[in-house]
Amino acid sequence: MITFPPAIVAKHSAKALPMGLAGAGLLVIGSLLSWSYDSQVLGDLSIAFNPGGLQIMAIALGLLAIILLLAHKGPLTSLGQWADTERGIHALADWTLIFMAMVVVTITAEAGGLINVQPGCWISLVGAVLLFLASRLLLAKKTRDLAEAVLPGWVEILAIVVIMAALLFGTAYALSLADAMVFVLFLVFVTGMAIAGTRAGLMSWLGHVSLRRKRELILAAFAVAFCFPLTQGGSDANMSIASQVLVFAAAAMGLNIVVGLAGLLDLGYIAFLGSGAYVGATLSSSGFATIGWKPPFFVVVLVAACFTATLGLIIGAPTLRVSGDYLAIVTLGFGEIFRLTMFNLDGNNGPDLTHGPNGIPAIPDLSFGSFNFGDTHVLLGVPIARFSNYYLLLLLLLAFIILVFHRLNTSRIGRGWVAIREDEKAAEAMGVNVFGLKLLAFATGAFLAGMAGAIKAHQDVSVTPDQYIFLESAFLLAAIVLGGMGTIVGVLVGAVILKLLPEKLRFFADYRLLLFGLLLVLMMRFRPEGLVASRRRQLEFHEEDEELAVRVEGDIAEEVQG
Amino acid sequence: MHQRSVVQVGASLLIVSLALSACGSRSDTKTATNGNKTAVIGVMAPLSGDLSALGLGIQHSVELAVKQANANNTIPGWTLKVEAKDDEGKPDVGKNAATAFAGESNVAGVVGNLNSSVAQSTQPVLATAKIVQVSPANTNPSLTQGANFATAPVRTYATYFRTCTTDAVQGPFAARYLFQKAGFKKVATIHDKKAYGQGLVAAFSKEFTALGGTITAAETINPDESNYQSVISKVKPTAPQAVYYGGEYPQSGPLSQQMKAAGLNVPLMGGDGIYDPKFIVLAGTTSNGDLATSVGAPTDSLPAGKKFLADYAAAGYKEPAAAYGAYSYDAANAIINALKVSLKGATDVASTRQATIDALGKVSFDGITGKVAFDKYGDSVSRVLTVYKVTDLKWAPVLTEAFK
Amino acid sequence: MDTFIQQLINGLSLGSLYALIAVGYTVVYGILQLINFAHGEVFMIGAFGALSTSLVLFRGTTALWTLPVMIIGAVIASVTTAVLMERFAYRPLRHAPRLAPLITAIGISVFLQELVRLNYNQVPFTSWNPFDLPDAKSIIPFPAIDVVTGPAIQIGGVTIQREAIFTIGALIVCSALLWWFINHTKMGHGMQAVSQDQDTARLMGINVDRIIVVAFALGAVLAAVAGVAQGLQNHNINFRMGFLAGLKAFVAAVLGGIGNVAGAVVGGLVLGVIEAMATQYIPGQFGGSPWKDVWAFVLLILVLVFRPQGLLGEKAVDRA
Repeated sequence: MITFPPAIVAKHSAKALPMGLAGAGLLVIGSLLSWSYDSQVLGDLSIAFNPGGLQIMAIALGLLAIILLLAHKGPLTSLGQWADTERGIHALADWTLIFMAMVVVTITAEAGGLINVQPGCWISLVGAVLLFLASRLLLAKKTRDLAEAVLPGWVEILAIVVIMAALLFGTAYALSLADAMVFVLFLVFVTGMAIAGTRAGLMSWLGHVSLRRKRELILAAFAVAFCFPLTQGGSDANMSIASQVLVFAAAAMGLNIVVGLAGLLDLGYIAFLGSGAYVGATLSSSGFATIGWKPPFFVVVLVAACFTATLGLIIGAPTLRVSGDYLAIVTLGFGEIFRLTMFNLDGNNGPDLTHGPNGIPAIPDLSFGSFNFGDTHVLLGVPIARFSNYYLLLLLLLAFIILVFHRLNTSRIGRGWVAIREDEKAAEAMGVNVFGLKLLAFATGAFLAGMAGAIKAHQDVSVTPDQYIFLESAFLLAAIVLGGMGTIVGVLVGAVILKLLPEKLRFFADYRLLLFGLLLVLMMRFRPEGLVASRRRQLEFHEEDEELAVRVEGDIAEEVQG
Repeated sequence: MHQRSVVQVGASLLIVSLALSACGSRSDTKTATNGNKTAVIGVMAPLSGDLSALGLGIQHSVELAVKQANANNTIPGWTLKVEAKDDEGKPDVGKNAATAFAGESNVAGVVGNLNSSVAQSTQPVLATAKIVQVSPANTNPSLTQGANFATAPVRTYATYFRTCTTDAVQGPFAARYLFQKAGFKKVATIHDKKAYGQGLVAAFSKEFTALGGTITAAETINPDESNYQSVISKVKPTAPQAVYYGGEYPQSGPLSQQMKAAGLNVPLMGGDGIYDPKFIVLAGTTSNGDLATSVGAPTDSLPAGKKFLADYAAAGYKEPAAAYGAYSYDAANAIINALKVSLKGATDVASTRQATIDALGKVSFDGITGKVAFDKYGDSVSRVLTVYKVTDLKWAPVLTEAFK
Repeated sequence: MDTFIQQLINGLSLGSLYALIAVGYTVVYGILQLINFAHGEVFMIGAFGALSTSLVLFRGTTALWTLPVMIIGAVIASVTTAVLMERFAYRPLRHAPRLAPLITAIGISVFLQELVRLNYNQVPFTSWNPFDLPDAKSIIPFPAIDVVTGPAIQIGGVTIQREAIFTIGALIVCSALLWWFINHTKMGHGMQAVSQDQDTARLMGINVDRIIVVAFALGAVLAAVAGVAQGLQNHNINFRMGFLAGLKAFVAAVLGGIGNVAGAVVGGLVLGVIEAMATQYIPGQFGGSPWKDVWAFVLLILVLVFRPQGLLGEKAVDRA
């Protein structure tokens, strides 16, 4: 981005540190004062010495800048030899400036006039500008290889705990934001911190830590997800969104097995989720259910999963021999066949199994013995209402799916899939049962989707054909592509982003699909391997990148050791 | 070694999260600027998409009723607000809207939905939250009288009411008109498989055959289709004298036009779902002679109705009140009348919900569509219907009477 | 017998639409091995282009002489869309793994649908409607041009729609022009060469990039004509009309033999007739138009399993 010519940098680099510290200091001081005269804008920012959400974020940015500056040249240089502070401050200053500029613009636009921007905000803005200028005057440094940075075990675990807690409360905070612009600014803040951390090498260090301590990381992640309902203070509004995110993530993970691991492009996957949901609805005690058999829920889940897996086998058997592009269209066709069949089986054009376009509404809540999912239970002093109950159940399901995914990925079957993905003919020549493995991928993905669908039917209260249109398959595929095909974390990230953002950015509601289409196009153009790239995929997409190949080799070696 | 660190991580996280979860809760009471408490009347209707003409009319009529109630201080100490959510005419979206309403503690009542198929999904959600729901447009009988409404009616949802009459009345009304007044003995039926269309055609066919007529063909269409040639080709050889359609105008308009162009030059008759000016736009120049029934008398035939239309025009809404504006106005006022009783002396909305349900069952007043009162099933006591015919490319009322 | 001929004509009319769109699919696939998922949207934009021409230039008059101008308007809209699509979305991905262009195509398809839905009558981010165009969020009536629309022609027990005659006639004309283009012009020969072997064609001095643009434009021209035909047949258009039509057209292209232009035409007609016959002759509850689309997809699966090279394709199809 914008940089000064080297001559100016050399001349003024001595001033960089004091200027930077002054800038960060001003940022912090300004944030403690009042930013906006109007208290309705951007969550209350009008009281001095009582920082609102955005002001706390600005203070955080300032403090991080101070730490990095001191690490660059000052008391914290022992930290500085590991961290690439110059690039880190560079990025941090960029995003802080964007943040402050957006704050000023938003206050002006929403409160009506520059007069509403108080001195505190101007001071912070000046601080951000100074920081930006200072960052451009810093000299680059050599850093040591972070793979060698080994800290005592408890420090690493503490780091994992801190990051997870930050994720937990960050998410809870993000979900609680009612004002869309505050949410956007929060995203800017998070992006700034993340990019600064990445550039400074923090992410890379965390990457090495996580390679060494995989088990703790996963446990921490699940503990965090489990504790999430406890942070809601009894309010169920966000849990509804959260449990929808979980269903979506579970389906995406199932699709990840089909697309990400086995490389089979399935554009009709939503039909599997739908078939599970319809079986779950038909076998429930809804007044509109068309079959008289009402088995207990575990049996229903099993029946739904097996039925869907059979459907997957029926779909897969004739079509898995065709090539990738054709498979995509055929599976799309199957998705449509499923939807149209559900639409038509209403007594007029087929036996009345699904009530056609009206669907099966009024599905009652699950209940295991005396534990009814619709009631509010109290756990550790916090009321857990209906959606929170489903959330916890879905979390268990998601854990199961991830376990299945991981096991398959690291087994012979997984390696077979990799071979098929890379070169099918060679794999067949080597003795890999190509057709059998493809069918297994399809059936497994279908089985898992069936399970998720059965729970979804109860959570959604009604099942209609409109919920299982092609666009949903496209969203699932996009989640995987966006997040990173074949990775667990990537797909979870992709699913959360794609399901959560539309809920929170309500003012974009009309443009949601437009932006989605644009996102897909841009993603495939600039980062086809996704946000959290599986290393193998990255190599596939960037075949000529030698540096990348060396780095990947090193990472794999480290993981095997740890 | 790994085991210990696992336990460490788990324990520290649990403690941290509990500590921090203790701080943070949200309270929800809102106060309006003049010190009054706020109660919200929700609106669920298709505000976008093909049926938006009808949905926006519903929304604005409710807004007009609430505006007038606030101006007259009808409920002292309370200010009413309207919150409209789009159900897009789809059951799934409607259910999400209903779930959102159910989660808000100051929603006192909801006017909605337009489509019977959507109401099937929203009824259970609002019933669980004990929020009253008054529909200005749902005509499917099973919504108030249960799945076996013809033989063993039972009221499934105590919170659901409607100000319009049902297809159990509308279908036979149309059958009688076609058989007795228009003299058609052979009619073909087509419907779009949704709850409304299917129910309407079923009620029509039963009465028509009971009167002595014959249904020459019973076909269905897929509402996503825009080319109806194959259906028309199947119906035409049976030589019907009219076609009865159960569904809405986005499909029936093109159907009417394609029908006449293909040589099946008979009138198309439908229910209240096709009674909209957009039907004539879509059906084109050959639509003269098409018929529709709609609930109630024409809005401008009653003095109170004329005043409503004048007020509506004066309020400056972009879209017209459309077919259900008057019914939505009455539905909103029914809720307001119930709230007059239940909100008196109350401090918040959520605790008065049961009282609102009871009060709504007992309301009785003269609305702009006639008498507004509900029977034990939640159905409207008024059973007036009108037949409209397209004349000179405009809907004109032909016959208004109460169904006995 | 009458019903059979009636449904045959219905089928041919429907199939002509599929055929016109299928050519676009097959030409692009033959050269790039890319399924241009967004081709259905090119068809839809052609229809909207024709509508706009009619509303803006002629204020919606239905005189017959406006029809050629409408077709030109449709062609301009479609070709612009297709060429821009190729240039900015597909060209950078020429050497990427197969997944990338397919997902890009899905993205473009969704993007174009929404763009038309939201911004047909308004300049983006404003509510400025300079030409007073109707809102695309619900279905829009299409002008009923004289002579090609109107009362159907009755021959015995068979009703022949005027629009059907127009559509089938358009197919015949376009097919003839297409045949002449591919076999008797330099560009056409170039297209044949590039679809056989891209690298050798480049060595022979053919500007491969330009040929690819011509291929996209060619498909777009036919899709535009199909758009006008559909608008005339249904008397309305909406932003969703491209999705299913595009899918069926792809089925038609596969049925006829992907990469083979004559195959696309034949495949389209065969698919249309099969759909019409299935609607009429499948008895009981599974007959009728609600199951029409299901049969099309079942046919696709059967073709791919039993005869993947399609009706007119050669045996050498790389299935892996």
